Order: sequence, then structure tokens, then C-alpha cells
Amino acid sequence: MAVTLGKRKRYVESREDEAEVDLDAEARALFQRAFEAKFNALEKPVVISQPEVEEDDSEELDGESEGSDWGGLSDGGDVAVQVIDHGISSGPANEMTRDELRAFMSSKPPSAAKVVKSSKLPANPKTADNDDDEGEAGNLKHDLALQRLLKESHLLDASTFSGPSAAPEGKSRLKALDLRLKDLGAKKDASEQVKMPLSHRRGIVAKATSREASRRKNATENGIILEKAKSTFKAPAKRERAVAVPSVGKFRGGTLKLSERDVKSIEGPKKRAGGKGRRR
Amino acid sequence: MATAPAPAALKFTGSKYLVQRLVLATLTGRTIKISQIRSSSHTSPGLAPHEVSFLRLLEAITNGSQIEFSYTGTTVVYKPGLITGSAAGYGAQGGVIRHELSAECRRGVSYFLVPLCLLAPFSKAQVNVIFTGPGVITSSTELGDISADTVRTAILPSFRSFGIENNLELRILRRSNSGRDGRGGGGEVQLVFGHQVRLPKTIHLMNAGRVKRIRGVAYSTGVAGANNARLIEAARGVLNEFSPDIYVFSDVSSAPFVPAPSKDNPAAKKKIGLGFGLSLVAETNTNMLYSADITSPPAGGEAPEELGKKCAYQLLEAVEQGGCVGAVAAPTMLTLMALGSEDVGRIAMSKDVLGSEQVVQLARDLRAFGFSGWGLRDGDEEDEVVVSVVGRGVGNVGRKIT
Repeated sequence: MAVTLGKRKRYVESREDEAEVDLDAEARALFQRAFEAKFNALEKPVVISQPEVEEDDSEELDGESEGSDWGGLSDGGDVAVQVIDHGISSGPANEMTRDELRAFMSSKPPSAAKVVKSSKLPANPKTADNDDDEGEAGNLKHDLALQRLLKESHLLDASTFSGPSAAPEGKSRLKALDLRLKDLGAKKDASEQVKMPLSHRRGIVAKATSREASRRKNATENGIILEKAKSTFKAPAKRERAVAVPSVGKFRGGTLKLSERDVKSIEGPKKRAGGKGRRR
Repeated sequence: MATAPAPAALKFTGSKYLVQRLVLATLTGRTIKISQIRSSSHTSPGLAPHEVSFLRLLEAITNGSQIEFSYTGTTVVYKPGLITGSAAGYGAQGGVIRHELSAECRRGVSYFLVPLCLLAPFSKAQVNVIFTGPGVITSSTELGDISADTVRTAILPSFRSFGIENNLELRILRRSNSGRDGRGGGGEVQLVFGHQVRLPKTIHLMNAGRVKRIRGVAYSTGVAGANNARLIEAARGVLNEFSPDIYVFSDVSSAPFVPAPSKDNPAAKKKIGLGFGLSLVAETNTNMLYSADITSPPAGGEAPEELGKKCAYQLLEAVEQGGCVGAVAAPTMLTLMALGSEDVGRIAMSKDVLGSEQVVQLARDLRAFGFSGWGLRDGDEEDEVVVSVVGRGVGNVGRKIT
């Protein structure tokens, strides 16, 4: 509306000016179209404000009777009606959180519920700033992981790294577990089989000793010095004996049989009794 | 244990402020004698049912109280015992005292709740009382009692500033308005007061702040829930101009169904306590509370719109009065301040609240019980007075021993 208003006046004034304004308006329209193509449609035409100012200028300039009544009309049409209704709730302030709603209608006094809420809130930042805490704990964790890696690196092979974590898996996991237990003071391998036929046990032991022997032999032949062999000798445990039985020999069938050794042990080291006598 | 000869009983007259005096007597351990209770009344002289009920409640939560009535009930001698609360072995079953209110009771349950809340912090064990029976009115009443909702939302929070805040609960198990001709209800309310202290903290409340939010509960029992909506709509119509943050909850429940034995049908039951009401609470940014209460009259005949508006105007009036404590919570706060440690506590109060009959009478009664007087000076705001109260360090006798 206002655009046409401006145009009409400018007819009276000058052609050049009109052309200029037209160009300007066109450019604006172009811009608007481009803008609207890219974003949403504009609510009101952008063009309005500019020509209105010029209209005032023109009025001052010519003061013609033709344009004057139009100006009054446009002024009146610009007033917008503002409706305010206090009866209807509105605004984001009315939106309470679910917790808040529940807190107010719970059996506790509302302020106490709020305290609970606020005491809950600081708990979250605590977990958030756990980074600092995690610094300590994390350092310890990494330390442990490194020590384990160093101790158990001989168990690692290519297959270890197939999984997402570098922790040993499968057989090597059991071995690593064994190592850790031994570190903590376990006497035997946890993987050692407790019960098996004696022949199998003997076979295993024999194989182990022969392997050890061959290793030592190879080492000596090649001039390699190995650790000292552990003596596997065990002192024989003392025999349990009956109460009223001689502490030497074998008591079988009502007779005490003494072996030669037993006799020797009873006799003790032989004294050269004759020698002494001779001296005298 | 050799005790000093007990000081002579304090003498009071009249039925007014009976509860206040009984509470102060219990807290200080002084024997009181109240005479001329409705002695001039020809139709119902002596103690009213709710007053007798309150005395029974006192007996239930204390150990060793002695109550003597005169023949007509116009004179009571009360010798208080220790406040034991709901300790096992003193009449509490499963840690809960059930207190039955008779159908003749005209007062709202807040008549019992507020003084009980005042005694509970000084009890030996926690106080856990269920109010049941055909006389429990959870709504506000025309006799000036506030609703149980207001007790929860406006009175209990005020204990926080005294360091009494943990494990306080007021469960409204069943709602009820006052019954026909304002008598009887049929609701059920449980008060759990689990925070016992040696001495309440000294408070310094000087800044009332500005109202930041308004909350409320609209309740209708046994009548259409639309009444709630109408109450809320009307109240908001007034209040929306003043505060952007208003939320009024709506609670619709059926009317309690209480036994009403008659001659021809001893198993008869009837619905009682129909009606609706509104409780509003305004909270300032310094956590001070103002409250307003309204309920439909037992005779009916008032539209919810009118009542909602009235309630809103009441709230606005309370806000206009200002101060750090509303008229409803003022006696409670001042009593707690007087009981606190021997230090000067200060609270800014509105002149209207301070000059109300109840507060003035409280000041007199406190003097009678040997508490120190109050110091008054003008506050920062207009119409505000700063009341300085020196605590007497009475505190919790039960806690002193244990």
C-alpha cells in the first residue's frame, strides 16, 4: 500500500528520482526473494519502511493537497491492537520440572524436597570433576597394568592382540593368573593336576627330569653356565611307630628283626678298645 | 532424686489460647491451672471436645503428665511430664500413635498439628502420630484453622531456619472438608517429625525479599473436580498480574465414608466432609513464606470463582503485610526463638502481624512462663519491626538426660 503511495507522489516530483527508487525497490525485492528461497518467508514486506520516510520528505517539499489526505490514512492503519489477558497462563515460567511437581505434592515440606534436590545436584559435579580424582586412581591403574605387562610379557604372542584389549586370553590368561597367584605366595601351580594315575605322574616327572638333564648336558657341551641344579633330595619323614615297640628294627610276628644297619647304629662307632689297653 | 519444691502453678483464665498455654507449659515443665473455661456459657460450659482431644494428645506423647478436670470441666490443672514422642512402650503401637478425633470436633486438624510440631523437636523419640476418626478435617475451617496443606507447605518449612529439617513428613492420607454444620470430617493425616534437637538454632531473618513464586493446592472432596479448575482459574486471574511463576495443583478425591450408626441400622455409613478449598503459598527469594487459605462453607452457596478470588486477595494481603513471617507461622517462629539458646535472635515482622491479637497474647504468655521480653525496633522497610528475642535455653529436657 505504502509503496504505491510513494510512487504517486513522485509522479509529481521528478522522473529520475522515481527510477532510482524503482531500482532500489527492485533490488530489495530480488534480495527478498533470494532470502525467502533460502530461508523462511518474511512476515511483512521489507520495502515498507523506506518509502514512507521519503513520503514525508515529499510532503514537506510540495505540500500539495492531493497527497495530504492519504498520509493521514496510512498513519491510522499502522496502529496495532495489543491484547493482554491475565486469565490465561502462559510463558515458560509455568513449566515446572517433573521433580519439582512431585516434590511439592509429596508428603515432605516442599523446601526439604528442594534441599534433597540441591544436595543431589552437587553430586553430579563431583562425578564430573572425577577427572582429578581419576588422575590419582588412573595413575595407580596404569601402574598396575604396566607392571603386569612387564611380568607377563613372555606369555604374549600375536594371538593376544587380536581382541579389543591387550589382556591375555585363553591359555595365556590362565598362565598369567598362575603367575599372579605365585607372586602372591601360592606354593603350587593352580593348573597342576592333583589326581592322576601313578604311571602318568611318573612319566611326566621322568620326562621333566630327562628334559632338564639334556638341557644341562647341552649347556655344558656348549660351554654355557646354567643356574645351580636344585637338589631334589628329601629327608625321609620319621616313621610313625606304635607305643610299646622298640624304636629300631622291624617287629613282625612276635620277633624283632634287626638289620645290619640297625645293629651298627646300636653299636655306635667302633672303639678301638685294644689300642687303649695296649697303651696302658 | 531430691527435687526442689515445685514452683506454684501458673494461673490462667478463659478458654482462649488454651493450646498455646498448654504447649508452653509442656515445654517449660511448669504446672498450670486454667480456670473459668466457658464458665459463663449455659449450654456448653467447660472444655470443648477438641480441647479435651488435645489434652488427650498431650497425654499420649508425654510420659508422666497429670491432667485434672473440675466436675464441670471449667477448670483444668495440667502438670506436664516429659515429651517422649512415639517411643515404644508409651502407648505407641509399632512406633505410631493413633489419635482418634470425635465426630463433634469442629476444628481443623491443623489445630492439633501446629502445636504438635512445636512440641515434636523437643521430644525424646521421634513423633509419629496418625490422626483418624470421624473428626479429622484436613481442609481449612471457618473457625480460622489453616488446612493441612498449608501446614505442610508454609509451617513445616519454617522449621528449617531453626536447623530442624530432616525427616519431617505430613502425609494427608485422606482428605476431608468439614462436615454438615461444620462438625466432623473423616480424613486421615499422619505427622512424622523425626528431627529432634537439643536447642533450636538462633535465627536472624532480616530480609523478607520479593515474592518469586506462588504455589498452591486446590482440593475437592466428594464434589466435581471442575470446582478445582474454577478455583484455580479465578485465583490465577488475580495473581497472574503479579507473578510469572504460579502453579496450583489440583487434588480431587472422593468423600470419606464413615460409619454413622442409627437406631434402625447400626451398620449404616455415610459420606461426610464434602466440599472444596484452596491453599496458596507465596515464596520469596529469601525463602520466606506467606500463605492463604479458603474453603467452601459447610452450608454451601458460594461459587468457586468467588472463593478463588478471595483466596488470592488474602494472599496478596499477606504479601502486602510483608515481614519475614506470615501471620500463620508467626506464633510458631516466635515460640521457637524464645526456646532457643541464650542468644539474641532477630526477625523482621510486619507491624500488622506483630500487633495481631494472637502474637500479643503470645508475648504475654511467654512473660508469664518466665521467658524474657522482646526488644522491638524499626526495621529497614516501612511497616516493619525487628523483633529481638533472647532465647531461654530451655531446649530438650529428654535429650539432656540421655
